[in-house]
Amino acid sequence: MSQKPRRNPQQDTEKPHRPSQGTEKSRRGARSHQITFESRTRAWRRHHGQMAVDSLYRLRRRPLSTLMTMLAIAIAMVLPASLWLALGSAQLLDSNLDDTARMTLYLDPALSESQAMDITDQVRGESDIASTELITAAAGLESFQQRLGMSDALAMMEDNPLPATILVQPRSRDPDAAQALAERLGQIEGVTDARLDMAWLERLRQLSELGRRVVLAFGVLFALGVLLVVGNTIRLAVESRRQEIEVVTLIGATHAFVRRPFLYVGVWYGLGGGILALLLLTLGRRWLSAPIDMLASGFGSHFSLPGIGLGGSALLLICSTMLGLVGAWLAVSRHLAEISPR
Amino acid sequence: MAMIEFAHVGKRYGGRFEALADLNFNVERGEMVFLTGHSGAGKSSVLRLLMALERPSRGRIAVAGHDITNLHVSHIPFYRRQIGVVYQNHQLLFDRSVFDNVALPLVIQGATPQDARRRVHAALDKIGLLHRERALPIELSGGEQQRVGIARAVVTKPAMLLADEPTGNLDPQLSADIMRLFEDFNRIGTTVLLASHDLALIARLRHRVLKLRDGRLIGDEEAA
Ligand SMILES: Nc1ncnc2c1ncn2[C@@H]1O[C@H](COP(=O)(O)OP(=O)(O)O)[C@@H](O)[C@H]1O
Ligand SMILES: [Mg+2]
Repeated sequence: MSQKPRRNPQQDTEKPHRPSQGTEKSRRGARSHQITFESRTRAWRRHHGQMAVDSLYRLRRRPLSTLMTMLAIAIAMVLPASLWLALGSAQLLDSNLDDTARMTLYLDPALSESQAMDITDQVRGESDIASTELITAAAGLESFQQRLGMSDALAMMEDNPLPATILVQPRSRDPDAAQALAERLGQIEGVTDARLDMAWLERLRQLSELGRRVVLAFGVLFALGVLLVVGNTIRLAVESRRQEIEVVTLIGATHAFVRRPFLYVGVWYGLGGGILALLLLTLGRRWLSAPIDMLASGFGSHFSLPGIGLGGSALLLICSTMLGLVGAWLAVSRHLAEISPR
Repeated sequence: MAMIEFAHVGKRYGGRFEALADLNFNVERGEMVFLTGHSGAGKSSVLRLLMALERPSRGRIAVAGHDITNLHVSHIPFYRRQIGVVYQNHQLLFDRSVFDNVALPLVIQGATPQDARRRVHAALDKIGLLHRERALPIELSGGEQQRVGIARAVVTKPAMLLADEPTGNLDPQLSADIMRLFEDFNRIGTTVLLASHDLALIARLRHRVLKLRDGRLIGDEEAA
């Protein structure tokens, strides 16, 4: 009976498949395939639309508990998101410092300016060099004075205490290769020292790797938290509509049909929670930005808290919505498995 | 080809208790058959097997020539759409109108709103409750609620109608009215299998009777 050909094109609210296999479908004519597929698609879309709106109405009917669920989701999203932002600002520093993965060659202070230029040319001729920049003793002193505002103290000195230096940008970013290059350049006549500041850079990298892992761990934990919040809320909703689920299942509703309203509830919870989380992040940033600006300007820096940005906001909303959807899916599926025939 | 075929069907609940044992019978297309027996004899179990709410522990069940014994879970909804079921407690949804209750199977099957309205009106007209389409089930009498349940079962024009004690809660007059409705549907070709322990009512209506006792078929009386 389940497979006997039907006179009317069968419509259902299942996700429409192009009829390709299946005994029942292949018996129908090509024209009715077309009609069936189109009417199925229409029915499927109609039910999606109805459930999207219906679930919104259900949420609006209990505004307080809806708001509380969304707030719980928002709070669970805010902590990993702000950690992520903090990490982002650390990486911003890190990437600025990447250029300084260069090395500094200190020249013999006794060398004249033209001799220094000769050495610079010689260094530029070496392999694996991306760029070089000669900073003469005089230029070095000038920028030093500017930076530290200690012009008076230095002006009193008779001799320029600074040696000329050559800033070398190695072509390779590999620490070992840079180390070898520094040793090679240190051998050049007139170069007193070749210094490569890799150690602290390496430490910074490790620190940001640690930060990444902390964010990931918190992200996973709090994502689980969101799943639990949504799952539990949907479980209660399923519980309160148990009879309805039973009845529609008895008269031929598919699991997809039964799930649909709850999935939309999960999606709205996730989306609402995500929007609230963005709101909290914006408020928090505003609240913190004044003291941070003051602090930064005391250090002569223009550092300011990075905002989440358009891409970050979109990512956060997608994540929270997906978590709502998955949480709802898990909760309904557990119930459906319980009522399947054994 | 028989509409319903039971071949050596057994059903155990919880692995030990045997609710049905070696059940063999056929119901032909267009037949109206009563399933009777004492409470606990296994009537509901037979119907639950036919609705794919339970799977038989033994034997084979075929409906319209198709084996439903091991129907895949994903095919069950589509199978159920082709049978109409009436329950003793009618299983109406109390948070929506009579119209919406009867329209439910059509909504599930994705009928267009216009088509659904037409078919719901036809079904409500048939059971004489067209004027109550906007009412909530709670506002109806027991007999009226049961008729709404029947309208929901027949709104998709199923080839087979199952009913489990459909008159269990009704007085004799209302019961007779309900039975007449089933006979009407049977007259237009619907196969009807109806479980009831109301022997007086069954005796008055002249249809085939399958008698169960402790999960075994002990009688199969053709219509007198
Ligand atoms: N889900 C179940 N689990 C365990 N036993 C059950 C279950 N359903 C029915 N039974 C038992 O199976 C027997 C037949 O029940 P049922 O088919 O409901 O009989 P009837 O409908 O004729 O009263 C009864 O003894 C009942 O207790
Ligand atoms: Mg029973």
